[in-house]
Amino acid sequence: MTLTITAAEQTRARYPDEEGYVDRDGVRVHWERYGDGEPALLLLPAWSIVHSRIWKCQIPYLARHYKVLTFDGRGNGRSDRPDDAEAYADAEYVADALAVLEATGAGRAVLVGLSRGSRWAVELAADRPGRALGAVLIDPAIAFVAPSYPDRHYPFDEELETDEGWAKFNRHYWLRDYQGFLEFFAAQVFSEPHSTKQVEDFVGWGLDTSAEALIRTQLGPQPGSREEMEAILRRVRCPVLVVHGGDDQVRAHAVGAATAELTGGALVTIEGGGHCPQARDPVKVNLLIREFVESLRGRAT
Amino acid sequence: MTMLLQVPEQTRARYPDEEGFAERDGVRVFWERYGEGEPTFLLAPTWEIVHSRFWKGQIPYLARHTRVVTFDPRGNGRSDRPGDYDAYRRREFAADALAVLDAAGVDRAVVVAWCDMGESLILAAEHPERVAGLVHIGPTVRSDESDHSVYPFDSDPGTDEGWARETRASWQRDWTGYLEFFFAKCLTEPHSTKQVEDCVGWALDTDMETILTGFRGWETKIIDPEEVAALCPRVRCPVLVVHGTEDEQVPAEVGAALAGELGGRLVLLEGAGHAPHVRDPVKVNTLVADFAGVGAAGTTPATRTWTRAVRRPKRALYLSSPIGLGHARRDLAIARELRARVPGLEIDWLAQDPVTRVLEAEGERIHPASAWLANESTHIERESAEHDLHAFQAIRRMDEILVANFMVFHDVVREQAYDLWVGDEAWELDYFLHENPEEKRAAYVWLTDFVGWLPMPDGGEREAFLTADYNAEMIEHIARFPRLRDRAVFVGNPGDIVPDRFGPGLPPIREWVEDHYDFAGYVTGFDPAGLGDRDELRQRLGYRPDERVCVVTVGGSGVGGHLLRRVIDAYPEARRRVPGLRMVVVAGPRIDPASLPTHDGLEVHAYVHGLYRHLAASDLAVVQGGLTTCMELTAAGRPFLYFPLAHHFEQNYHVAHRLAQYGAGRRMDFPTATPEVIAAAIADEIGRPVDYRPVETDGAARAASLMAELL
Repeated sequence: MTLTITAAEQTRARYPDEEGYVDRDGVRVHWERYGDGEPALLLLPAWSIVHSRIWKCQIPYLARHYKVLTFDGRGNGRSDRPDDAEAYADAEYVADALAVLEATGAGRAVLVGLSRGSRWAVELAADRPGRALGAVLIDPAIAFVAPSYPDRHYPFDEELETDEGWAKFNRHYWLRDYQGFLEFFAAQVFSEPHSTKQVEDFVGWGLDTSAEALIRTQLGPQPGSREEMEAILRRVRCPVLVVHGGDDQVRAHAVGAATAELTGGALVTIEGGGHCPQARDPVKVNLLIREFVESLRGRAT
Repeated sequence: MTMLLQVPEQTRARYPDEEGFAERDGVRVFWERYGEGEPTFLLAPTWEIVHSRFWKGQIPYLARHTRVVTFDPRGNGRSDRPGDYDAYRRREFAADALAVLDAAGVDRAVVVAWCDMGESLILAAEHPERVAGLVHIGPTVRSDESDHSVYPFDSDPGTDEGWARETRASWQRDWTGYLEFFFAKCLTEPHSTKQVEDCVGWALDTDMETILTGFRGWETKIIDPEEVAALCPRVRCPVLVVHGTEDEQVPAEVGAALAGELGGRLVLLEGAGHAPHVRDPVKVNTLVADFAGVGAAGTTPATRTWTRAVRRPKRALYLSSPIGLGHARRDLAIARELRARVPGLEIDWLAQDPVTRVLEAEGERIHPASAWLANESTHIERESAEHDLHAFQAIRRMDEILVANFMVFHDVVREQAYDLWVGDEAWELDYFLHENPEEKRAAYVWLTDFVGWLPMPDGGEREAFLTADYNAEMIEHIARFPRLRDRAVFVGNPGDIVPDRFGPGLPPIREWVEDHYDFAGYVTGFDPAGLGDRDELRQRLGYRPDERVCVVTVGGSGVGGHLLRRVIDAYPEARRRVPGLRMVVVAGPRIDPASLPTHDGLEVHAYVHGLYRHLAASDLAVVQGGLTTCMELTAAGRPFLYFPLAHHFEQNYHVAHRLAQYGAGRRMDFPTATPEVIAAAIADEIGRPVDYRPVETDGAARAASLMAELL
């Protein structure tokens, strides 16, 4: 069954109070600011298969209390789609995040990362501790720290004899049937029953970019080794909250648990939850973020 | 109206883990330490008009999570009463607080002060290294000039009306009258009779001479505004000010101004008076705990699981009153019926001894937090005298335990989502839910077998007033928050309701209950038909056909020891009148069988599981006036003698009325029932055929059906 994707963006519950671009080496990244409470929250992009609308259920609530910053990751949304795979390295997303903090005058922020964005959040927090008040890592896509469905791994670059299941995670298939891949992947992301709207949204955001652009995000430098990843996680000094779906079909729950352990963070398991609980269980995730941010404020002890 | 003040201290929900005296300049100050952990709370005294029991609503809850230190102010409680004015200056109280912290081995504490007249402000400003945070409840200190008193303290207005009571002359005329006036002005909320009585009682733990030694009017009791203004900027710790908007002692503006001066947070309690920690203990407990990051806010585990709503098994939390064993049996029967109607339902029990013994024997799941509950049965036993239990006052004097146990419930339901809460005469749950309606987060079913506090005749006007006040508060609760009880289930029938009114100007009880309750019929917890043939039952239990078996039981509490002894004393004469009489005495779980006398032909057992079978097999039973056992006998169609406990309004009115509906039982009067009288009654009644109205057998099913609709 092919989904019908509505092209026009649906009415937002809240529109940005300010927006703009940061330009780094000729690549323009679009950011938005909502609200101006304290502290600032930077909702990082996830993988560029989606863009900042992935946070649509968080922004209106959090912006009533805090200064909420979002940006479209390079490769999707209103940000540029550079031609060069090197331009999609982790370091570039981290530098974009810092540039957005600079542009919006937010010296320090609570970093909120989803999936691959969690990796950028911990890299930012580890390298620039002065900028991170805390980090919320939702279903983090952090390589090496724990096994995550190793049997699903197919070569990305090679032509495969099958395009069943995770064999769809392959550049040749993407070029053949990009929407087919998006629909497959969205169904994995939203393993919870009754997620049709979330799946449609996800596919729609995926269609806001192209197979070619998304392929480039896969070809850039990837994290090197377990030691390297662990070292980064152990350097994180700020308070950390990991939220991970117990039924995450994209990144196994063990990854979130290991991330919490290595960062000394708290772990909240969404039992029965998939890879994007911020979209499927928005109330719970909103409250968890709020509780975490409030816990960073001074207490009597 | 003169109050009836109960002199002995009522049962505490928690006793100190350590206590001692701190001595300064020959003055000994008594302190207590409860619990372990950090941060430490120092619950500070106010002036010497009350002592540390004033924090009884806070101690058990906070001490379950962390270390709590209290002390009695010099001049009251177990502290010394120095004889000179200067010994009662606020700076001395601050120094006592430091000495207590030293003695208890506390480096830093979150100081919680009520009606601070400067001592806690001095402590926080001058010893910042010892004070991690400061909570001011209804503070009196202010930095602007103001008149504290209507009349100069040393004037004699020639009247004892209103604030004229706050003069030396009026004190000397009627000290207790002043105390009642003063605390009525502290506790302006309706239905505060118990709180006012408590406070007056604590004030009477010292005396007017001591108070006069340290008091020359508020102008000198409270530190100067200039001093307040100088101290405030020196306070560095986080501050929380809690103030009632209807505080008639100190206007809320004073608390608001102090919060401003201290850069602290301000929480106004709308409609509250001067002592909200006493009158709204649940709210104040959570405010204080949240401020210090303890309790629900501070103990967030590093690893948590939140289960998506549709994935959750259905869960119920069942609270079964521990006063008597009857609730346990009927609640088990209802739980079984409920499970049959709601497949997969998981039931946790929040319960205490002796209910837990019955539940454990049935393999039920007892929530581990049950271990935190303060024991109600122990309290009830302490309140009882020889076959005498003033049930209304005993429950009233259980207020500290009720708050403590509600806070246990409060913690439990924060950690675990339930679909349904059931409270079978769980007074703490029903009362504090209506006092804190925002705490409701599940469907809630209330069960009871009686409605209406009734005065005993010898309690006079005061008791009639108090019972009516309690009833009025309950009626107001239900009228204001009809949504709280999703079901109110009366375990019985309309005819079982007493023909009384709730009190002067209040509705007739039966009419009101019929409007506000569903009726389940009686719930025995067993099916008499299931017992089978009585001759076979006797054989199974080891009773010979030619024996005349008399079972004597006083239920689950330890209150019945006197009745057991009296009936045992009647045994020789009863045996003379009833040849072959076999007397089976069941001491119950809380009376030591070895403590009872013995005779040939008389046997004494401790707890007997399935006692109802023995009752059904007996030729006669001798029991207290408790509802459960009397109704088991009624259902089994056995003759029985019942002795209502003196001053026990439920046994004397509610149970007796219900038994009359069934035409069951012979009521006995303990004071006049000599062993000879009892022996004669045994001879009259034993083996007598009875013609009771049948007891319904579908009560548990009907109650469960009402609950299942919510699941």
